[in-house]
Amino acid sequence: MRDNWIEPLVGAVVLVGAGAFLTYLLIAGDARPAPDGYSLTARFGQVGGLREGDDVRVAGVKVGRVERIALQPDTYLAVAHLEIAPQTRLPQDSTARVTSDGLLGGAHVAIEPGADTAMLKAGGEIENTQGAVDLFGLIGQFINKPAAPSEPAI
Amino acid sequence: MPLQAALVPFTVVGRLVMGVCAIVGALSLFVGRTLLACFTPRWHGGQIARQAVSIGFLSLPVVGLTAVFTGAALALNIYTGGGRFNAEQIVPQIVALGITRELAPVLVALMLSGRVATTIAAEIGAMRATEQIDAMRTLSTDPFRFLVAPRVLAGVATLPLLTSVADIVGIGGGWLVSTLSLGFNPEAYARSTVAFLEAWDIQSGLIKAAVFGFIVTAMGAFHGYRATGGARGVGHAATQAMVWSGVLIFATDYLMTSWFTQT
Repeated sequence: MRDNWIEPLVGAVVLVGAGAFLTYLLIAGDARPAPDGYSLTARFGQVGGLREGDDVRVAGVKVGRVERIALQPDTYLAVAHLEIAPQTRLPQDSTARVTSDGLLGGAHVAIEPGADTAMLKAGGEIENTQGAVDLFGLIGQFINKPAAPSEPAI
Repeated sequence: MPLQAALVPFTVVGRLVMGVCAIVGALSLFVGRTLLACFTPRWHGGQIARQAVSIGFLSLPVVGLTAVFTGAALALNIYTGGGRFNAEQIVPQIVALGITRELAPVLVALMLSGRVATTIAAEIGAMRATEQIDAMRTLSTDPFRFLVAPRVLAGVATLPLLTSVADIVGIGGGWLVSTLSLGFNPEAYARSTVAFLEAWDIQSGLIKAAVFGFIVTAMGAFHGYRATGGARGVGHAATQAMVWSGVLIFATDYLMTSWFTQT
């Protein structure tokens, strides 16, 4: 029975690990405030599948995350609060676009940097935005379009 | 004699049928006496606690190990399969569903049929071989109450607990490999998992686990109790316990799944 302490020890490690991951799942499931960085806002007509905690990317590289999405009551626009890493400076005329990761949902904000020499400051707003494209709405419009008078094919 | 030779086929069939009937009868009697001992006083609390530690807590290392690698491999496979129709984002959802509804209960039960059913069969088989069970009966201690019921109760109680640990660790394995090597956002992965899972996904897995807990411990006790012929018989009982608990786990798993999925 001398070396039997190792089994209970490993068992305890498994339990602690499982408990820690469960805590992480439940906390991250609610989205948690990001560490230091500066925040920007962007107003979109349509955020589609974008959720709090999704990535913010420049040229496909993650530079921050979506911290909060709220509806602006008077304009009915969705206001996304973005948390951007401090070393990433963005020109004032940058464009923010909601891009979907694939057909089954998941989205991120893609920022295309502009050419302005003045940079966006903390708390600033990205004015040029392009909301999510409603892919299924487009497909629906295409399918339900009344049959056009037949044209010769090419 | 020609008449005896002609009767041989009938003898073979008769022996087979009688053998099957004997096993089914013995198993039914055994399960009946076990259930009676489980549901009526008096209970041996100390024995139940000791078995719960030995079946439950000491199985945690092997359960954790199985779950984390299964979750990780599952994530890789779903990523590959999903990639064939551009649906890699589905990984967290399918990993969560597959682990909680199917893989955690079945794999935990299979690992325990190797770890627990064999141990129980060997323990009780050795007591049978050394006539300790007969001695116990002479002292008017019911072996079902003292040996079988505590193990079965501990199995039914601890397997759902082990399965819930395996649920978490398995999803953790999928999360690890998805974030470290498949480029998933860790928080988005966690969020999809939490948002996707429904209570019934987890509950149905836990119900399965309780049934498997009964199968594993009862099979161990049944084969140990019937062991004959010394050390060799004990070894045979352990093998039989593992084989039959495995077979019954797969069969009842299919039955329960088909029952749970029809709505």
